[in-house]
Amino acid sequence: MKYSDVSLNKLSDTMWEVPRTGGMRVPGLIFASEAMMAEIVRDEAVRQVMNVAHLPGILRYSIGMPDIHWGYGFPIGGVAAMDVEEGVISPGGVGYDINCGVRLLRSDLAAESLRPRLPDLVAALHRGIPSGVGSTGFVRLSESDEEKVLREGSRWAASAGFGADDDVALTESGGKFPGADPGAVSATAKKRGREQLGTLGSGNHFVEVDEVMEIFEDEAAAAYGLFKGQAVVLIHSGSRGLGYQVCDDYLLTMAEYMRKNRIELPDRQLACAHVRSPEGERYLSALAAAANFAFANRQLLAHQARDTFLKTLGMGPRDLGMRQVYDVGHNNAKFEEHEVDGRRKKVLVHRKGATRAFPPGHAEIPGEYREVGQPVFIPGEMGNASYVLAGAPGAMRLSFGSTCHGAGRRMSRTQAKASVRGKSIVREMERRGVLVACASMRTLAEEIPEAYKDVSAVVDVVHEAGIARKVARLKPMAVVKG
Amino acid sequence: MNPRPYRFLPHTADIRLEVRGRDLAGLFEAGVSSLFSLMTDRRRVRAAETRIIEVAGNDLEERLFLLLREALLLFSADRFLIRRASGRMKVSGVTMEVRGEAFDASRHAVFREIKAVTAHGISVERKAGEFVARFVVDV
Repeated sequence: MKYSDVSLNKLSDTMWEVPRTGGMRVPGLIFASEAMMAEIVRDEAVRQVMNVAHLPGILRYSIGMPDIHWGYGFPIGGVAAMDVEEGVISPGGVGYDINCGVRLLRSDLAAESLRPRLPDLVAALHRGIPSGVGSTGFVRLSESDEEKVLREGSRWAASAGFGADDDVALTESGGKFPGADPGAVSATAKKRGREQLGTLGSGNHFVEVDEVMEIFEDEAAAAYGLFKGQAVVLIHSGSRGLGYQVCDDYLLTMAEYMRKNRIELPDRQLACAHVRSPEGERYLSALAAAANFAFANRQLLAHQARDTFLKTLGMGPRDLGMRQVYDVGHNNAKFEEHEVDGRRKKVLVHRKGATRAFPPGHAEIPGEYREVGQPVFIPGEMGNASYVLAGAPGAMRLSFGSTCHGAGRRMSRTQAKASVRGKSIVREMERRGVLVACASMRTLAEEIPEAYKDVSAVVDVVHEAGIARKVARLKPMAVVKG
Repeated sequence: MNPRPYRFLPHTADIRLEVRGRDLAGLFEAGVSSLFSLMTDRRRVRAAETRIIEVAGNDLEERLFLLLREALLLFSADRFLIRRASGRMKVSGVTMEVRGEAFDASRHAVFREIKAVTAHGISVERKAGEFVARFVVDV
């Protein structure tokens, strides 16, 4: 297989090496099937994997997941681990939507019994969860409350009455990134945050009611509280305008740092600073604050979703049994311990459109899941499927404890919109058995299932490569989109 | 005036725009108005208020990037929608006078959230007697 004038080396049925050329410090490693790779080489994603390999201090590989696609600077679906002493931190390696992620709530309800109530439920979720551009949250946040959100993340939300302590314990990093400093977040970012806590956003963000269609691994499914035919709720959102602004602010800081320190890279959007520089450390404390905002935001959305179920269905919390399975981000940079060249060391892992996937036994997994591995949620195309995965040992060997994050786009937004011109996308989704409520028809048209790669094929690759295991397949019954 | 001096270029995840202008000021104006055309129907935005954006920058690409960034911030941080823009090039930067009004949900539909204007592959070129710029916005 070739990309431009570069020959890619096929390592196995699911792994490809991009050889080291020019200024690349390490080779690239892409997880994909042959058919996917043929599609991946058609846009600029491989070039971006190569560009990331130029970053100072990058370790082993610049990695691409099977849902990789052309982003800006870093590809979406990219992982890069950096040496803490020599390496850099790049806001572009995290993305604008810092700690964007997915949360899964389980229930005791049979999906079938819920079906007649879905129209009411979707309407109520759409009313109760602010979505779309310009929407504001259902909480009014004072400046001092916001400081607490930025420091405490989900813990703030639980202590303010939005959810239970169990939710917090079953969140990546306990719903709180260490080292958050609200002082590193600009006044503009904070202003945007105060208006937007507890809002879904727009684009590909959603709250979805799914049915568990298939269980692949009984033990893990049982540990996560999942069973066939069950109704569950999947939430996808992030740090809203606060996170975008933090990224935007620090890209300027980093561009200045690169000029001062004469660091040359192939793309302006790869702007970075050394992890140990004042600029790098300040960005990391702002990143942690924005990540905490995202945790708190999803905590509020989950609370609102749960509350809407209780009220609409007229059930008590015990009968509904809607507990959090887990919450995990896919746009992050985190200090973790990994084995590099036979030695365990602390590294900084960038994941932009990639999910942490720690295997069974890892110390950072909550007790109830430690034996089966960390839950991972992969939202797919609106009409078809989403997946619950579990971390696998191969992730520690091959991908710095990471796996994929979604289906990955294959069609541009303009193409997607052109392909549905004149059709009623809401009716089409209903025909496929999915009720849809949305803030913008235009956004909805860009999110048609055909615009995405087949999520099942993406998940099969990470399962076969051993960087995650399939636990359950979900099918959307109803979607609320921004 | 050409009502739509911009077009979309293929890009899988985000939106890549190409804008044109007879001169640099016209190009930068087209950049700003195309950004707002992505978000709203500008015909419904009244030119009731004026704001001034001033940016410096080491080269044309950086000036365009900083200008678009500031223009987007008018909406993201202050909920101000732009109807039209009128620019002046200076030795060390750009001054843009923009006219518009505050977002009002009862009159304006904002149908797309733009997370940011990116510096990825941003270009400004002179081509066949006009100026052409390309940039990617994250949506």
